[in-house]
Amino acid sequence: MLLYSQPLELTKLVHSLDAFFRSSLSPFWATLVEGILIGIAILAAYALIALALIYIERKIAAFFQSRLGPNRLGKYGVIQSIADMIKILIKEIIHVNKIDKLLYYLAPFFVIVASVLSFGAIPFGQSLQAVDFNIGVFYVLAVSSIGVIGILLAGWSSNNKYSMIGAMRSGAQFISYELSAGFSLMTIVVLSGTMQFSELIEGQRYCWNLFNGHIPAFIAFVIFLISGHAETNRGPFDLPEAESELTAGYHTEYSGLRFGFFYLAEYLNMFIIAAIATTVFLGGWMPIQIKGWDAFNQVMWYIPSWIWFFGKAFVLMFLSLWVRWSFPRLRIDLLLNLEWKYLLPINLVNILVMVIIVLSGLTLADIFPAVFGK
Amino acid sequence: MSFSKYISGIYTGLKSLVGGMMVTWKQFWSKKVTMEYPENRKTLVISDRWRSELIMPHDENNEHACTACGICMRNCPNGTINVISKKVVNEEGKSRVALDKHLWDYGMCTFCNICVISCPSNAIIFNNDFEGAVFDREKLHHQLNHPGSKLREKKKTVPAAPKTPVAPASEATEATRPTPSVVTAGTSTSPADNKTDNAPKTNPSGNLSNEHTDKENN
Amino acid sequence: MTRFLYFNEMKDIKQIIQDIASDALIEEKQKLTVTVEPKQARPLIEGLRNNKELPFDYLISLIGMDWGEKLGVIYQLSSSIDLTHEVVIITATTDRENPLLYSVSDLYETAHLNEREVYALFGIRFINNPDMRRFLLDDDWKGFPFRKDYDENPDLNPVNVISKEIVDIAPQIIETADGNLVEREVPIFGENDYIINIGPQHPSTHGVMHFRTSLDGEIVKKIDVHSGYIHRGIEKLCESMTYPQILHFTDRLDYLSANINRHGLCMCIEKAGEIEVPQRAEYIRTIMDELQRVSSHLLAWACQCNDLGATTAFVYGMREREHVLDIFDKTCGGRLIINQNVVGGVMFDIYKDFQKDVKAFIPYMRQRLVEYDEFFSHNAIALGRMVNIGHLTKEQAISYGVTGPAGRASGWSCDVRKYKPYSLYDKVEFKEIIRTEGDSYARYLNRLDEIEQSLRIIEQLIDNIPEGDICGKVKAVLRLPEGQFFQSVETGKGEFGVFIESHGDKSPYRVKLRSPSLSAVSVMPLTARGALLSDLIGIAGSLDFVIPDIDR
Repeated sequence: MLLYSQPLELTKLVHSLDAFFRSSLSPFWATLVEGILIGIAILAAYALIALALIYIERKIAAFFQSRLGPNRLGKYGVIQSIADMIKILIKEIIHVNKIDKLLYYLAPFFVIVASVLSFGAIPFGQSLQAVDFNIGVFYVLAVSSIGVIGILLAGWSSNNKYSMIGAMRSGAQFISYELSAGFSLMTIVVLSGTMQFSELIEGQRYCWNLFNGHIPAFIAFVIFLISGHAETNRGPFDLPEAESELTAGYHTEYSGLRFGFFYLAEYLNMFIIAAIATTVFLGGWMPIQIKGWDAFNQVMWYIPSWIWFFGKAFVLMFLSLWVRWSFPRLRIDLLLNLEWKYLLPINLVNILVMVIIVLSGLTLADIFPAVFGK
Repeated sequence: MSFSKYISGIYTGLKSLVGGMMVTWKQFWSKKVTMEYPENRKTLVISDRWRSELIMPHDENNEHACTACGICMRNCPNGTINVISKKVVNEEGKSRVALDKHLWDYGMCTFCNICVISCPSNAIIFNNDFEGAVFDREKLHHQLNHPGSKLREKKKTVPAAPKTPVAPASEATEATRPTPSVVTAGTSTSPADNKTDNAPKTNPSGNLSNEHTDKENN
Repeated sequence: MTRFLYFNEMKDIKQIIQDIASDALIEEKQKLTVTVEPKQARPLIEGLRNNKELPFDYLISLIGMDWGEKLGVIYQLSSSIDLTHEVVIITATTDRENPLLYSVSDLYETAHLNEREVYALFGIRFINNPDMRRFLLDDDWKGFPFRKDYDENPDLNPVNVISKEIVDIAPQIIETADGNLVEREVPIFGENDYIINIGPQHPSTHGVMHFRTSLDGEIVKKIDVHSGYIHRGIEKLCESMTYPQILHFTDRLDYLSANINRHGLCMCIEKAGEIEVPQRAEYIRTIMDELQRVSSHLLAWACQCNDLGATTAFVYGMREREHVLDIFDKTCGGRLIINQNVVGGVMFDIYKDFQKDVKAFIPYMRQRLVEYDEFFSHNAIALGRMVNIGHLTKEQAISYGVTGPAGRASGWSCDVRKYKPYSLYDKVEFKEIIRTEGDSYARYLNRLDEIEQSLRIIEQLIDNIPEGDICGKVKAVLRLPEGQFFQSVETGKGEFGVFIESHGDKSPYRVKLRSPSLSAVSVMPLTARGALLSDLIGIAGSLDFVIPDIDR
């Protein structure tokens, strides 16, 4: 009854489509058709989110810098990124001599495939998740680290010294920060006892993990944001491209659509990090629910779950942009210092603290079961 | 590194970063400085002394003040100006030198203003029309004197400073432009008067104006 | 302070000079001028350099000259202890085919690039200079363009559209122990060096500067400065123009200090021609100079932050600079190329609301300085990128002739406005900002503090502008008397020097412009050695050079 009272929720649509295919086709064909449809939906979402993000970033960056940002095309420049997309599609792809052709052409696909794969496991809303792995957190971490291979290959195969240096920086950076990102997610896995996204979200119905695990969860959250930010190669961690040092770093030699892939993947990675943080720390698509306030909960459910999800993710992305447009770039040794001397040790201590808190029943849900209990 | 130093390092570092973020946060909500050109054409204020395009003011009788002496041409550091003169016979039958073509190359000019301050008859000035971009390089070669124009007779009472021809765009701004704020033009009220104040208060042309005689003597 | 250390220097210096070079011709012109034979020049300079009491350890400029039958060099020396002491040493050789002089590059590091420049432009080679490639010009340039008998036929040196390999072999002429001259060639880089080109097209070289950098991983091993991509030969062009005409070139050197450069050239001409400048003009000049300095430092701040990756700071700096440019725009109709000074005064009087605008700008700028402090000066990342990076000691700064905020960040008191006050600088109070750390951060802070000092100077002058003419009486045709004239001014980047040799004509016989940016660039190989690639960019930003100033 809860679900059908929400006009904007897509659950009903998804379920009826599924029922329709299963009733009219053999199980094999039904799975195939559904798979193709989901693929198309994910790619469409991918492109749309990227376009929106590019516009949003340009606008927000401009506002931080006392400018107006894109304002020529459409009202407030809203179709600017569509125009940019068309431009990048019809741009000449410059062929570079003396490159490792296979790797050079392969590299952008690694980067883009990594982010598309992560998309499959992200719960965008109720029933809006392609695959609900029982090791979802682990899967996303594993898949998103494919991207760095693309960056390394791009830098190596371009036969360009700037690209090479950028790629090497990226390798060092990614491997380091992967550790922190992983550990901070593990902290929450310890807290919630599951790696499955659907269970993680369900467990946060009345109390987000961020609050449930209070101090260690908060530290883990901050560390995840920092290391996630670093993994996406965005300022102040944008050393691999470092436009003032390496002109464009690993994608110096790429043009047209191939460059577009890198560009798109960068924005999508930012979104993916925000999406994971939302799901793991901030209750995912789950609306704000307070135990016992049934009327309030009902009202909250009227807002569709995917709006909750994108809303929370946007707040995190705004934070990321705010940081990006406020700070100078780190140097490679400062960057590694930050990881190995600060984030990682703190993280290790933090995970221990979390274990103690969980075992000794000091989570908010344990202390106040009447308010925050499941 | 002692532990307390480690912790205080984290604290001061984070504090400084948050302080930096607060500055951008404030900026996020305050007024933006971008000017939206060309939407703001109507309100755009270009300073009166702005040097854009060299022009030769003509009055309502299509007369200008250029005597074709060529001082501007000689003083120009990089040969942007070319003054072509011709011989004309006036009513009394005397032949004298008059201006045929005053050519100026917009593309080469360095806007150093020497031609304007060295002109003994104040025949040329820079105007405010900054929208000078064209698609054809040839269009940058300007002829400053209008077709059929002639020299203003000296005996006439000095006319009010001529209305300068301006492009439609800046003509639109002319009306809304605030009263000129040049020191020497404190009393002037009409935009036309304002134009003459493009020239500096004192005319340090002394060191330049007799250049041609000097050259001829040599 | 040391600059009040005064002693009966003229006699003593003369005595020292006479002791070393007994047959030197000593004249008291605008500066103490010593003419010596080429053989004696080097010992004389060495003696002055190593003079204990007042070492002449600062080579202001090294000027190549062509006097027709003689080719020579003018050394303008000064003492880092007290910049008011100057000695000019002239030496020349009659051998036009193979002119050779002894190098002073081991005494003054700044001579390295200057001697290379003199070689490129005049063809004078320097014995014992370790690197005698041509600076500013291609290696295969035919002829020496600044010589008076240079063949200007464009077919000899056609415009090249094909990229050339850069020659990495440095010719040397070395004097062996037994007095023989040996010519040899040394490679600049090793065979297995990983060389990366920072520039000429690079976002952070602030123009078309080209650093050939050899890297070990990300650590900079060696930098070879390769410049001249926009060399226009302004000094040569000046020789065929009248004095009022050459003024407009100075705006195109260090375009961020356009007004100050022009002020320097005008003063040099005015002093030579004994032209009086009205007080009102002096006030306007000084105020405009200080506004220019504010705008120059703002841009330097903005660019330095941008080089470190803080794009937002760049926009903030530009935003404030816009206010200064608006004032320029209203005063003289230009923003970057402002054409304000003319010989004898200024071209444009101030406009009606000038004082009001400037007075509104001062508190606004102060408020912004506080904001910059909050935003960037204490930022943990920024500190990591600047503190103890790009270290430059005082001795090195003096030897390389690094003046301006960068020199003062190394503890060298070198403000021309204090030592050789011009215009109204002896009447206003301001503090010379000196720091001793000598790193990027000190240079960064120095600029911000100097903005405050400039605002102080403007505050003292803005209400007291006297009435009167803005331009003095200048002769119809300006001819300078015969002689050599020097003038230094403090631009946003450091000491900008003007040298004019006049033979009594309407045009100068030779003009030399000392560029502070050349010194800043010449110090790059030293400060960036051993630093990371990212720091190379950060150090370049902190030294704040402008390329057109080098490629004059």
